[in-house]
Amino acid sequence: MVRTMSGAKSNLPACTQTPILVHPAIQIKSTSQMKGTSQIKGTVQVKSTSVWVNRIAKIASGSIAGILLGGCVSATVDEMTFMEPTEGIGDSSVVILGRRHAPDYDTEFEFIECIGDHIRSGDKSITVLHEIEFINMLYPWFEPRTAPMRTQDIDKLLQQPPVADKFAEIKLEYMIWVDGTTIETNSSGSMTCGVGPGGAGCFGFGTWGNTSDYEATIWDFTDQTEVGRISANTTGQSYMPAVVVPIPIIAPVQGTACDSLGEQLLKYLSANH
Amino acid sequence: MKWSSAVIVAMALSACGSKQVIVQGNFPTPIIEKHSKTLAVVYTDEFANHEFFDQAAGRKESDWLVKTGDAQVQFWDTLLTGMFDQVVHIRSHDDLHEHEDSIDAVIIPYVVDLQYTIPTHTNVKIYEIWMRYRFRLVTLDAIHDHDNGDLSYDPETSFADWQLTAYGKTPTAFLQSDEEAVNLAAIVALRDAGANFVTSFERVNEVKAWLDGRGVERYEKGKK
Repeated sequence: MVRTMSGAKSNLPACTQTPILVHPAIQIKSTSQMKGTSQIKGTVQVKSTSVWVNRIAKIASGSIAGILLGGCVSATVDEMTFMEPTEGIGDSSVVILGRRHAPDYDTEFEFIECIGDHIRSGDKSITVLHEIEFINMLYPWFEPRTAPMRTQDIDKLLQQPPVADKFAEIKLEYMIWVDGTTIETNSSGSMTCGVGPGGAGCFGFGTWGNTSDYEATIWDFTDQTEVGRISANTTGQSYMPAVVVPIPIIAPVQGTACDSLGEQLLKYLSANH
Repeated sequence: MKWSSAVIVAMALSACGSKQVIVQGNFPTPIIEKHSKTLAVVYTDEFANHEFFDQAAGRKESDWLVKTGDAQVQFWDTLLTGMFDQVVHIRSHDDLHEHEDSIDAVIIPYVVDLQYTIPTHTNVKIYEIWMRYRFRLVTLDAIHDHDNGDLSYDPETSFADWQLTAYGKTPTAFLQSDEEAVNLAAIVALRDAGANFVTSFERVNEVKAWLDGRGVERYEKGKK
């Protein structure tokens, strides 16, 4: 079975799908914001007569609204795949690994984990090995210096009996290499924050853009051939207006790239999608 | 007000203080076919307590002290144990005589150089550590013990002497301090050193000859 979708693109229009809180970093950031808000709410209940506290309560509700806002993201996905496992991968396993040999960037561990989680949640029958556990299990053969760059290198790895035994033990069927990163493309604006006896606050406006560019290369480990490439390019602009309290309007650029790549890989690997 | 003043002063002082990293991490055992040899390891005091100090170049920068000694010993113990049938440590006169009949060779590692960069230095959002190692292999009879318990050896008696480099980098990350990032870069560098050591070990001619049982030529020439 050969399936080719060379150059097939799905241009997702801006603001039609902006899953909030997908990027791990943003999750942490937003969680922190939510925690701050709930603490302020608690203070309001105890000291409801304080004018200063009432002011903060208003600000808190504003920041909740801000957290619920999301910036706009546009995504382009290209896919070219072959020899799709139409019956699924059975009890075999898959590993998703990031490329980290480039001098100026590393593919983020969180991004790889995000794709793995997407596939696991989409089809619970697919065993996706944890990246760091896999790299440690096969140390030192998947370090940036030693990781196989071409499918022909798999054979060299398998010539070492302990390595071959380990691969047989984990029943690895697909090795998926993800190369790319998310960068900040532009930023502008200014914000001033101050602290005084009567409280704290910020005033100003900031905006910044992010671009994610990732390519997943699928290797059939048994046949030692490349069976597909999927790339995802996403861009988005985030905003942070501040009138007393900053209101982040975050574009989930990396999260959208994760969802896009994860979904295409899930469709490739799963018999149910 | 007193508290807020104290906090502001503390923040101002911490901005240009000294930063210290004691490298800590867990290292995996290598998955390779073990060599059927018994290897002894001598960690010199300089190696086991290795640290790197860099004085701040300006008021905006910080002094840096990076202590890698404990992590070095932990890492090389794990790596060598995974590479050889048996690994023993030679720390004293007693160790030397206890294992004198079983040891095939003694390895002595050195950290020759360590350099680091942080985003403040380069304006690139990457923390980097670069290390250069030197390894010497000697036979057991090249190690001498003294009346005071110290051990010594003549570097000229080594039958294999080679160097390798290691590099580790880690990008900036949300909620990650400079110290955490430098620690992570050091761990990546140590792992890279191991990967380089494993893949280049048998390419050193003298090592290859020793592993193949073809003798330890340079040392024997030295004896003559």
